[in-house]
Amino acid sequence: MRRMTLFLDRDSLTVMLILGVVGMLALVASAFGAPATANVSPRAADEAIAAMEAGGGTAPRGSAQSEGGLVLRPAASGGVATEIPAMRLGTDIVANVSGQTARVTVTQAFRNTSDQWMEATYLYPLPEDGAVDTLKMVVGDRIFDGKIKPREEAREMYEEALENGQKAGLVEQHRPNMFQNSIANIGPGETVLVQIEFQAPIRQVAGDYSLRMPLVVGPRYLAGGEGAGGTMTRAAALAGADDLVAPTADPEMVARVGGGLNPVSITVNLDPGFTAEAISSPYHRVNVAGSGEKRTITLADGAVPANRDFELRWSAAGDAPALGLFKQRNGELDYVMATVTPPSVERSRPVPPREMIFVIDNSGSMAGESMPAAKRSLLYALGTLRPQDRFNIIRFDDTMTVLFGSAVAASTRNLDEARRFTNSLDANGGTEMLPALEAALRDTSGDERVRQVIFLTDGSLSNEAEMMEEIQRNRGKSRVFMVGIGSAPNNFLMRRMAEAGRGTFTNVGMGDEAESQMQRLLDRLAQPVATNLTASVEGGNIDFAPRDLPDLYAGEPLVLLGRTRHLAGTLTVSGLIDGQRWSQQVDLTQATASDVVAKLWASRRIAEVEAERYSGQMDYERADKSIEELGMAFHLVTSRTSLIAIDETPSRPDGAPLKREELPLLLPAGWDFDHLFGGHSASEADWAALRDAMADEEERREQLNLPQGSTNYLLTLALGLTLLLSGAAGAAWWRRRERSVQGPALPSLQRQLA
Amino acid sequence: MLAVSAKPLSEGRASKGGFLRALPLVMIAALLVGGAAITAKALYLPVKAEVAQVLLARAFDQSLEQGTPVRPWSWADTAPVSRVRVDRLGVSEIVLSGGSGEAMAFGPTEVLDDRARGVTILAAHRDTHFEFVRDLKAGDTISLDRIDGTSVTYRVRGFETVRFDEFTYPAHGGSGLLALTTCWPFGSQVSGPMRRVAWAEKLG
Repeated sequence: MRRMTLFLDRDSLTVMLILGVVGMLALVASAFGAPATANVSPRAADEAIAAMEAGGGTAPRGSAQSEGGLVLRPAASGGVATEIPAMRLGTDIVANVSGQTARVTVTQAFRNTSDQWMEATYLYPLPEDGAVDTLKMVVGDRIFDGKIKPREEAREMYEEALENGQKAGLVEQHRPNMFQNSIANIGPGETVLVQIEFQAPIRQVAGDYSLRMPLVVGPRYLAGGEGAGGTMTRAAALAGADDLVAPTADPEMVARVGGGLNPVSITVNLDPGFTAEAISSPYHRVNVAGSGEKRTITLADGAVPANRDFELRWSAAGDAPALGLFKQRNGELDYVMATVTPPSVERSRPVPPREMIFVIDNSGSMAGESMPAAKRSLLYALGTLRPQDRFNIIRFDDTMTVLFGSAVAASTRNLDEARRFTNSLDANGGTEMLPALEAALRDTSGDERVRQVIFLTDGSLSNEAEMMEEIQRNRGKSRVFMVGIGSAPNNFLMRRMAEAGRGTFTNVGMGDEAESQMQRLLDRLAQPVATNLTASVEGGNIDFAPRDLPDLYAGEPLVLLGRTRHLAGTLTVSGLIDGQRWSQQVDLTQATASDVVAKLWASRRIAEVEAERYSGQMDYERADKSIEELGMAFHLVTSRTSLIAIDETPSRPDGAPLKREELPLLLPAGWDFDHLFGGHSASEADWAALRDAMADEEERREQLNLPQGSTNYLLTLALGLTLLLSGAAGAAWWRRRERSVQGPALPSLQRQLA
Repeated sequence: MLAVSAKPLSEGRASKGGFLRALPLVMIAALLVGGAAITAKALYLPVKAEVAQVLLARAFDQSLEQGTPVRPWSWADTAPVSRVRVDRLGVSEIVLSGGSGEAMAFGPTEVLDDRARGVTILAAHRDTHFEFVRDLKAGDTISLDRIDGTSVTYRVRGFETVRFDEFTYPAHGGSGLLALTTCWPFGSQVSGPMRRVAWAEKLG
C-alpha cells in the first residue's frame, strides 16, 4: 500500500501511460489483424450481403429467376380473342351425388353459326380427382360411343376422320384436371353434342361435404419462359406446357355476345345417404328443391357464364358416419374403398409451439380480387400466432423475398413488420413458385417442433411436376398446406402439393370468405387429431393406397382404396390420437357393393404413378406404360389414353374447306383482364409493346442492398496522429526528467530489454 | 508491465526500481510505434485508392483494345469494366466488376449492370472515389465508357438518401438509368446505414 502510494506519488503519469499502451496495443492489433473497413474479405462480404438480403431484402431479379414473364404470357393462354367465335358453346352439367361419390355428366353443345365447315377445340377443367370414362357424340338423332385408345392412336384416328370429312370427337387430357375436346367437321348451322361422364369423390371435412366443379381454366404462367431457357426439366417439358393453349376472351367481345359466352347450367341431384343440412353454394345462387335425403339443386339464375368454379357444400345432421365401406368385383379382382374417420377428442394438452412458414403468391394472376383475399388470409393467420411460435413469410412472383433470414419468434415487433410487409404486396409479374418452395422447405431450425408451410396461391403455373418433385424430395419434417385463392385455382396442383407434403388443401374464394375459411384451416392445423397412422389387414392379402398415410386433422376421414384377388380379413387402422394409442378394426367382408370403386381405385393408382414419376421412383417410360395400361383397362382418359368417337359416314363434301377454331375461354371471375393482358393487346405480336408499357410503370421496382460506402480513413488517421503526438510529448517529458534525475535508468532499461 | 514481467523473477526483484523507471520509456516507444503504424495504415487507404486507379487506367486501356476484361495486376480478383467520367468535376475513374468490399478499395464497383433492362448501379466509398457525388448537381452529365467501346452519357436527374436495405430501382430503366451510390452523410467518419444515391438518365 505504501509502495503503491509512493508509486503514484512518484509518477502519476505512468498509470495513464499503462492504460494508454494497453489500449494502443489493442488498436494496433485490430489495425493489423482484422482490418475493419476497406479490406473485408470477399467471402465475408458475400455472406454479409446474403444475410442482409435474407434479412429483408429482395434478391436481385436476376438471381431469383428468369425474364420468363413480366405478367402472364399470353402464349400460355393462346392470346386474346377479340372476334366473336363462329362456334358457340353451351354446357350443361348434371351431378348425381350418391354417398361419397358423384357421377357427373357434362354435355357440351357446339353450334356452328358460320356458313363454313368447322373444327372446334375447347379446353376445360374437371375436378382434380375426377376420372373421365365415357364419351358420347350426338349428331342429329345418331349417337356415337367413344372408345378408349392410346393417346397417339386416338389422335391419328381423329386426324384421319378429319381428313375424310367424317364427324369425330376426341377427349384428351392435358393435365390431370384439364381436358380438351376436339370436334371435327361440324357443318354450317349444325350442332354437335359431346357428352362426357366422370366419377369424382366427394370431399369431406369435419362433417362438412363439398362437390367442386371447376368451370374455367385460368391462363397459366409458363415458368422459365423465353430467354430463361433450360429451367424446365424433362418431366415438365413432357407434361407439355406448350399444349396449354386456349385464347382468352376479350371482355368487350363477350359484352357484344347476347346471352353470354360459354354459358353453363348446373343441376345436382343430392343423395348423400343422410339428410343434408346447410346446403349452400358460395359462388352461385342456387335453388334447392325436394326434402329428406334426396334434394335437387339448380342454379337460381339459369345458365351462368363459365368464369368461376361451382361449389356445393352440405353437412350431415348430427354425427357424420364414421365409417364407409364399399366393394366392387371387376374382372378377376375385388376392389374396396374404406373411409375411416377417427373420433374427435377434446384437447387435453395445449398446442405445442410451432413453426409456420407462409408463402404468398403476388404474381400477376393474383391481381383483382385474389390478392386482397390472400392478404386478408395471411393477416388473419398472423393474428393467430402465439409468442412461443416461430414464423416467416416468403412472397414470390417471378422474384421472391424472404422476410426474415430464418424463422423468427412471433413477437409484437416481428408481427408488426410482417403486417407491414403483407400490406405492401402488389400483384405483379410471373409465377415462379419453385424458388419460393425451395426456400420454404429449407428447415434450419434443427429442433423437433411442428413445421407447417402454408401456401397462398392460385397455382396458375405450368411446371407442376417440378413442384411435386421438390416436395417429394425435400419435405423433411415439414407439412405443406395449400390455400387455393380466387375463383378458379389450380386445384390439381393444390391437392398434389398438399398430398406430397402430407398436409391438406383448402379453397378460399373472395372477400369475406377469406377469414372464415382461414380460420377453419388454422383451427385444424393447430393440432393434428391423428398421427402416425398405419393400416394393416389380417386374414387377407391387400395393398391399400395411399401407402404413406397422412396426418389427419379434425374431422378428416382417412380414405383407403385397395385391390385384392379375394376380399377377406380385417382392416386395422391405428395411430396416435392426442398422444393416446387408437385403433379401429373393420371387417372387410361387410362391404356394400358399389359400381364406382374400381374406377376410383384406378384413378387413385394413376395419381400415385404420377407421383412416383415426379419423385424419380419410377422412370418415365415405365410410368407411361403403367398409366396407359390402367387407362385402357378401366376405360379412363389419362395422360396416355384418350376417348375417341367417329361417325363412319363422311358428312363434309369433298373439297369443302374446313376452318379450325379454338373456343375462347372466359377469364376467371375476379381476374383483372387489363392487368393480365395490358389493355387491349390483341395478339402475341403486341406483346413486345406491352412489355415496354410495363417498363414505364413506376411502382414496379426492385430492391437491392447497397454496400458499405466509406473507408473512414480520416478517423483512423486522426487516431494514429493523436497517438504519435502523445508519444512525442511523452518522449519530451522523459528527456527532461532524465536530464534532471541523472540516474542509472538507461543501463537498467538496457538490462530489461536484453 | 505485462510484457516485462515475463523476465526471470530474481532479476525482476533486484531491478524493480530500474524497471519502474524504464516503464514510461517503453510506453512512449509503444505510442510512437503504434501511432506511426495506424497513421501509415490510414494513409494507405487513400494512397492505395489513388495508386490502384493508375494501374486500373492502364488495364482499362488494354481491356478497351482487347474488348475483354484485363486484370490490373496478376492477383486481382476483379477487372475493369468501364470508366465513369464527370467532366465538370474533373472526375475520371475506372469501374471494377463485382460489388465486393475488396474491389471498392481500388475503385468504384458495378453492383448491377443489366443492359437489357437499362439499369446500371455503381457503388464506391464516399471518402475516396465517390467523394465527388457530394458535389454532383442535377443536370451534370456523367459518361460511362465500357470496355466494349460503347460510351453512354447520362444526365443527373436527382438524388435520394435511403437506408442500405431500402434502396429500390425500377425494374425497367426505360432508355437507361444510372445510379451512383455511396455512404451518407459525407464527412462523417462513422459507418452508418444511410446511402446517398445520385440518379442519372440516359441522354438522347
